[in-house]
Amino acid sequence: MNDRDAFRARARAWLQSVAPVYGFHARKGLSTADDLALARRYMAEKYDAGFAGINWPVEMGGQGLGHIEKVIFEEEEMPFDMPTSYFAISLGMPVPIMIRFGQGGQGEHRDWVRERVVKALRGEEIWCQLFSEPAAGSDLAGLRTRAEVDGNGWKLNGQKLWTSYAQYADYGVIVARNDPNVVKHKGLTYFWVDMRAPGVDVRPIKLADGSSHVNEVFFDDVRLEDSQRLSPVGGGFGVAMTTLMIERYTATDSAGFGPPLDVFVEHVKPLVLNGRPALEDGRVRSAIARNHAMRAGLDSITRRAMLMMQAGMEPGPEGSLNKLVSVRSRQKLSELALDLAGQAGLALDRHGSAHEDWTKSWLSAPTGRIAGGADEMLLNTIAEKILGLPQDYRPDKGVPFNQIPA
Amino acid sequence: MSILYDEGQQAIANESRRVLEARCSTDRMLGLLDRVGEYDAPFRETAVEQGWTALAIPEAFGGLGLGLVELGLVAQASGEKVAGAPFLGVGHAAAAAIEMQGTDALKAEWLGRIAAGTALGTIAFAEGTEILPALPETTFADGRLHGAKHGVTGGGKADFAIVWASCDGAPCLVLTGLGDAVVTPIDSYDNTRCHADLAFAGAPAVLLAQGRDARRLAMELLARVAVVLAHEQLGGAEALLFTARDYALTRRAFGQPIGAFQSVKHRIAEMYGLVEIARANAIHAAASVGTPGFLLAAADARLSATEAYDTCARDCVQIHGGIGATWEQGLHLHMRRARSLAIEAGSTFFWEDVLVGELTGEAA
Repeated sequence: MNDRDAFRARARAWLQSVAPVYGFHARKGLSTADDLALARRYMAEKYDAGFAGINWPVEMGGQGLGHIEKVIFEEEEMPFDMPTSYFAISLGMPVPIMIRFGQGGQGEHRDWVRERVVKALRGEEIWCQLFSEPAAGSDLAGLRTRAEVDGNGWKLNGQKLWTSYAQYADYGVIVARNDPNVVKHKGLTYFWVDMRAPGVDVRPIKLADGSSHVNEVFFDDVRLEDSQRLSPVGGGFGVAMTTLMIERYTATDSAGFGPPLDVFVEHVKPLVLNGRPALEDGRVRSAIARNHAMRAGLDSITRRAMLMMQAGMEPGPEGSLNKLVSVRSRQKLSELALDLAGQAGLALDRHGSAHEDWTKSWLSAPTGRIAGGADEMLLNTIAEKILGLPQDYRPDKGVPFNQIPA
Repeated sequence: MSILYDEGQQAIANESRRVLEARCSTDRMLGLLDRVGEYDAPFRETAVEQGWTALAIPEAFGGLGLGLVELGLVAQASGEKVAGAPFLGVGHAAAAAIEMQGTDALKAEWLGRIAAGTALGTIAFAEGTEILPALPETTFADGRLHGAKHGVTGGGKADFAIVWASCDGAPCLVLTGLGDAVVTPIDSYDNTRCHADLAFAGAPAVLLAQGRDARRLAMELLARVAVVLAHEQLGGAEALLFTARDYALTRRAFGQPIGAFQSVKHRIAEMYGLVEIARANAIHAAASVGTPGFLLAAADARLSATEAYDTCARDCVQIHGGIGATWEQGLHLHMRRARSLAIEAGSTFFWEDVLVGELTGEAA
């Protein structure tokens, strides 16, 4: 057994040992508050077991291992449905950005950042990412929240939208416009913000599936010190792009974060369709086969990327296909699963999980196709960055932000 | 077998692509479309000269002792150029049948000649709409074969065939030389595949396998052909992806390259997605030969490759507009090949059922 296999075995053994306390069955039916409390205990236990911040530097509270070990752990962790979602954004983007840009030019904030990192890893503190706005989603650089010079610091005014877990967040990272007189992506600056500061107002938004993990966040004359600035003035867009590019390869899920295909097959097996076993119906068989072929391809892409990383090579850009292809097909497969169930497909299990319940998977699928890059933006990215096709016609190009036609 | 190509495999990929780039000709292929029963002789000569016919034959019989991964890479390069000889897939399956089930005498008779390029083999399984009928009407008794096989890939040029037949009420696989068969070439939309109907009236044949063993072997052979074809389809799909991309970059309309319109660029991005999924499945399937998951992997590869090649053929022509539909421009060579490859070795309907059977265990 090589080191990585040993790591995987160790991770799996630990996950199995704590799954009865934190896994899918333990969580079923919990209120959000209770689930979050459980989640914080899980993170603390994970930290103590040495599986937190796997590829982060030891001096910042991490384990100092490679990216590959991080992905291995995530692969092992995913099937247990552990309560990690509250921390996914926090540990995925804002906290790594704090490690990279938040320690100060002379490292004067290093101890403070280290304390934040450890508390974030232990689930004691949560960071959110304040990017999207009512008028700036896919077009992030069109954002309007203002950061104006205020004495030796800054004053923040505006509104953010779709901010995941902001209602539980202690801190956030935010991009705001410091100069509307230059082209739109040049007038942005990147800060961290204390979510408990006066003038910050978080209001949860109820989504179509009944969940409320996203929020709108209002900033009304919120004071920022200049030491909270994480980019050069006007250099915020670059740091925001770094945020989005931090890890191209995380553990992916060819099921599109919905139920695996064997759950579909088991769902179909007892069903009858027009007097015949549903599994004998050509339409059903075709759907199973095509989904299997697609998911197997995505899995193979992921495995090849892992092998390339292990061999010290840079994985190809095809890993960017996963979310696009898997989530939209999960949406259709979930519709099909409900149709096949007949009248039973009308019922809703309010405690169902999108990882195993077709109704929940279907209800939450639209979010998956929009959050973190809408399908259309992902297609643009593939076309432009991988295939070298031209950008769309952009009337805002080269125009100062305050002169862009509304 | 790893799903990461090693240096030797990478070299085979690069070299076969380089050679075919120099020797394939769209004009020649266009001319052959109207010639029934003829393949592209320069491609066949190249395949022999480059050792592609010997690639997956054991070294003991003058082969190179390599496998499906290497063969797949040559097939992929051939698919890119719509190269005109059909024997990479069916020829491999015919040789594999002899290697797995043949007597020493049979191996000595055929394998060396296949490797040297002096004999061509194919498989003849289909009857009517069934690629692998439960009990074929072609019969084998007393060492003689009676019946007919339809649309045999390479049948117009093959020296021998592995035939799916019935023997005492059970299916069997036999080898027969085609010297005694009536071979009727089919006038096809993709004539260099040399599709032909074969009729047997007492042709001598040798039994290779019977009953459940025969069916297992037949599925293994079809899966191998499917994996080689998947690589060919992948090569064709990828070539069309880049052709569409290049055209969208140069063709201008309404004051900009048409590739700047999302209706066009998203279509091309979708082609990329299909190509990469097909590639990943093809590599995995080729590396899975000999493992219990091979049939499932082959079905995955086959289905995604067919979808990729069909879609790319359709959409690449569409992106070209009128010029894409002309004879001279030649995109229809891919369109034709996409269809013939989709049908050979079992269509999507067949492989979807194979896949579900493997997945649910109903096949066992």
